[in-house]
Amino acid sequence: MRETVRRAGRATVQLALAVGLTAFSFAFITVLLITAIGTVALIGSWLLPEAVLLIRRIAGAKRSLVAGWTRQEIPEAYQPITGPLRDRLRTAVRDPGTLVDLRWMLANYAYGLLGLLALPLWPAGLLLDGAWCGLLRHRAMVLPLIGRLADLDAAWSAALLKPSPKALLAKRVEQLTQTRAGAIAAHSAELRRIERDLHDGAQARLVSLSMRIGLAKRAYERDPEAGRRLLDEAQEHAEEALAELRHVVRGIHPPILTDRGLAGAVLALAASGGLDVNVQADELEDGPRAPVAVESAAYFVVAEALTNAAKHSGSKQAGVSLTRTRTGLRVVVRDEGKGGAVTADGGDAGGTGLPGMRRRVAALDGIFVVTSPVGGPTIIEAELPCAW
Amino acid sequence: MRVVIAEDNALLREGLVLLLTSAGHEVVAVAVAEPEILPALLAHRPDIAVLDVRMPPGFRDEGLRAALAARRQIPGLPVLVLSQYVEEAYAAELLGGGASGIGYLLKDRVGRVEEFLDALDRVSAGGTALDPEVVTELLTRRRGTPLDSLTPREREVLTLMAEGHDNTTIAATLVITERAVSKHIGNVFLKLGLPPTDVGHRRVLAVLAHLNNAAGRSLE
Repeated sequence: MRETVRRAGRATVQLALAVGLTAFSFAFITVLLITAIGTVALIGSWLLPEAVLLIRRIAGAKRSLVAGWTRQEIPEAYQPITGPLRDRLRTAVRDPGTLVDLRWMLANYAYGLLGLLALPLWPAGLLLDGAWCGLLRHRAMVLPLIGRLADLDAAWSAALLKPSPKALLAKRVEQLTQTRAGAIAAHSAELRRIERDLHDGAQARLVSLSMRIGLAKRAYERDPEAGRRLLDEAQEHAEEALAELRHVVRGIHPPILTDRGLAGAVLALAASGGLDVNVQADELEDGPRAPVAVESAAYFVVAEALTNAAKHSGSKQAGVSLTRTRTGLRVVVRDEGKGGAVTADGGDAGGTGLPGMRRRVAALDGIFVVTSPVGGPTIIEAELPCAW
Repeated sequence: MRVVIAEDNALLREGLVLLLTSAGHEVVAVAVAEPEILPALLAHRPDIAVLDVRMPPGFRDEGLRAALAARRQIPGLPVLVLSQYVEEAYAAELLGGGASGIGYLLKDRVGRVEEFLDALDRVSAGGTALDPEVVTELLTRRRGTPLDSLTPREREVLTLMAEGHDNTTIAATLVITERAVSKHIGNVFLKLGLPPTDVGHRRVLAVLAHLNNAAGRSLE
């Protein structure tokens, strides 16, 4: 009985919030009407985009309210309203999201006050169910109806607030444009870095090496001792050039990733850091390998995350798990350190390399989540989509 | 010495053959791809095999795998593995079956002809030759371990010891007496808590195992 009442109580809170939101949007219709008339009269056209933004806020509040009840996100797909007034107006009117929101709002006027039904249900439920269920030990009948009411409200709202396929597509295009720009920027920054490394390092050394060999050739007969010294120096330069080339190659694509695949490379990585790292990658040992880009990004995430853990977390231990999912590759790196890798507003703490990882994962259309409450643990999760 | 070479790059292959023959060794067979390595070793039973890690057809770690397979089939076969880059994990795998007659060097080291030939001799005689880069990696990342208590000189001695050098060479490299070397080694073993008696490759293995264990792992 107590559980029944508690559940009904939760449903009531949900319904009360829904009714509150509805009452608010009743008030809002006045604003909307004024705006519409104003827009027609060309006086209030500046109000229209603002009104649409407000509608979005209300619809957004409803979405999160429903998501809280059903535990299922309702996707949102809006085009950003920015730029000069003309652009803002055009987006506000043309965005399919506006239509979806208005449709929901109108429907909500009809069903939004559904929650008020909960009021008479409570005394009736307490009385009837109290006797029926509390005393006679039968199943409660009236109070669960309140939960049904909340379910109904959520189901209708979810159906109405779901963005149209077109809006979802537009949103997706927007997102792809962004991540592609990020990927291209990261790529060219990487190329510049490699170019600079080669130019300042190996190339310069090879030039001075060649120069010394030339000098040694000239000194060969006149002054064999000097020639020998020059050759010694030349060899040193050759060795340094090789060392730098190795360094550059590692930065481009770690050779062990080619040799051993992701699991082997991560195991080697775990063994060579200062931390005691527990790696779970058995699933990846056999079967097909992920595409090179995915392996490379996963390796990058693990390497950066472990570097972070060693540098910032204060923990001596870390865990890495690599698993194959139906849709891709899942990478989780966890340490029991002091946390705080993300700031309170969800931003990345400085000097952590998190933005780089985020960009790398986003470029492959992956999901990147960092949880790092102050006091730890820090968990970095990346899901990289790929076909197996 | 009779040597079998496995190297796919023609330039390096020729260089190696030239270098070895000019030093008085005999190159009895040359493998240019992974499938040729084991048959060549089995047919010629050389005094030492010099193998490149990356070989056709896969260009991954075929040479390393061939080395391990060869050591299983011909126990005690001295193997010197050359690579464009060194990995601690590979060193651990090579040393897994014992450090006797194992060499693992960067290809760059071939340029230091004398040192390279010395490493070759050492490995073929059942010793060890580990690339300084592997040893440096092992030494530098072990913080907060007994290694911190070593003096700079003791660290130098430890590094050379881990690379596989004997006391005479260590003394010559550091320009100190052999007695001083023995004293430093005694101190190193004492500070690291290792039994002090071992010589040669067993000593190398003990040191490497210690370095690997310092971070809570064992040499597989």
